[in-house]
Amino acid sequence: MPIFAKSSESSVTRAIISQFAKDMDGFAETDVIIIGGGPSGLMAARDLALKKVRVLVVERNNYLGGGFWIGGFLMNTITVRAPAQKVLDELEVKYTMYEKGLYMTPGPLACAKLIASACEAGVSILNMVSFDDVVLREKNRVAGAVVNWTPVGALPRQITCVDPVALESKLVIDATGHDAMVVKKLEERGLIKTPGFGAMWIEKSEDAVVEHTGFCHPGLIVTGMAVSTTFGLPRMGPTFGSMLLSGRRGADVAYKHLKKL
Amino acid sequence: MSRTSTSRSSEKRLLRYVDIHSPEQSTDVDLAEVASFLERLFPSVRFRTRPSILTSVRKKCIERISERFASARMKDPNKAEQSFEPMYGEIDYERRTVLGEARIGGIVYDGRRLEDLFVSILGPQDLREHASIILTDRLVSTYSTDDLRHHLRTIVCGFPSIVSLPGIVEAPAKPREYYLMKQGMELQGAGDVQLQELKKEFEGRFIDYGSPKTSEVLKGLALQAVLFHLTLQPFCDNKGCRLFNAHWQEELIGSQISSGKLCAKHENVIRRLGKEPAFSW
Repeated sequence: MPIFAKSSESSVTRAIISQFAKDMDGFAETDVIIIGGGPSGLMAARDLALKKVRVLVVERNNYLGGGFWIGGFLMNTITVRAPAQKVLDELEVKYTMYEKGLYMTPGPLACAKLIASACEAGVSILNMVSFDDVVLREKNRVAGAVVNWTPVGALPRQITCVDPVALESKLVIDATGHDAMVVKKLEERGLIKTPGFGAMWIEKSEDAVVEHTGFCHPGLIVTGMAVSTTFGLPRMGPTFGSMLLSGRRGADVAYKHLKKL
Repeated sequence: MSRTSTSRSSEKRLLRYVDIHSPEQSTDVDLAEVASFLERLFPSVRFRTRPSILTSVRKKCIERISERFASARMKDPNKAEQSFEPMYGEIDYERRTVLGEARIGGIVYDGRRLEDLFVSILGPQDLREHASIILTDRLVSTYSTDDLRHHLRTIVCGFPSIVSLPGIVEAPAKPREYYLMKQGMELQGAGDVQLQELKKEFEGRFIDYGSPKTSEVLKGLALQAVLFHLTLQPFCDNKGCRLFNAHWQEELIGSQISSGKLCAKHENVIRRLGKEPAFSW
């Protein structure tokens, strides 16, 4: 008696293709596209999906979670400062208190729970897909993203003539970390001018990241470390609490905007 | 007519009022204590504690003021003059700070541009009778011609003078070893826990956010602002004097907390001005 049910190779192939084609059909036009599946992008995606917003996360790597798997000095203990532990409560991540206001949790646990929570909320994921360009509409409003398979960029030039595809959305969220790839694409087109990182090290810059999370251009919201790059805020170390709260704020701004449309 | 104006110009004008504006959001400083400290030194001057200057922004001006706050950001420490068109998101953030919907912090503003902005919010004032000290939760910098770069400041003396609360923590440098150790830890990717431990190691050698010593330091800074208003010379070279312009945290603590006094020269100056707060400019 075999362990697994009988199925043919062709059925497996058809199952993959049919489901993926159906998914891609939905991705072609969605409410919000989030570029980057790190902690802020996943948090924004989860919160929006819980409100029944159609969200697609585009992640260039095979894996989601960005730097959330590991903390400082390659040690996989993640620290968050109050009130970000409330997000850990929501995600049902167990943590311990190091001192008043400072909490610790294993990175793999927090990251896995965040990914699971986003997927369970209904977030769609396109991994191994890289952001290529923005879709622009009237008055240069950002209205989608042009994407391509990540491996295409790694192939020799002769065989990289694989055209990307364009996905339309009501809003795009740049959650690409320090690279701020979507914002930089607008900068290349002369539509925005970023100052880069602030040159002075200032404490409490976490607050500034959360508070500056929001629209930086019509149709485009920035979250997480991309906020630092976009607005020239002081450089920060690994501060996961602010990434989670920035993602939450980004979702809130997006949702309020979508409700007005 | 001409006789009246002649007699007015020869009349000695005395400082009568000093308005001390609360910071926009911080609630842990005791302004009444600062005001009564100054009143003891200048008994004839009325020191009034006022709400944050942002409460004076009229509704119809919010958009313009927000844009000016965004334009007042110091973006390049190596440039004296900075002219740029603020981003949509920067103006939006400033609008929310003016409305009290966003926390202030992490951004450095050009002190001189902020001064211009505060002048326009305060409206016309008779500077020969009336001084304003604006406490702010914003970080402020001014350009130094000594080394051709911007530096964070605890106080930007002017009309009005601006005292930066986060500047008390961030502007005077912490002990040199603190930065060396912090830099080493950061290179190794240290997180919050390690940095908190480092701070504990240097406890007492710098003023941190929320320190109960802040109000005491504020008294000295407010005194510098009043002295600037009267004489245009707010600072003293003596490290034991409350008018010392500290560049290191240990100097700030030394002059404002450990000594907590004026030097002999400035004690005389303040005693004289306390009897008659006349302008020397």
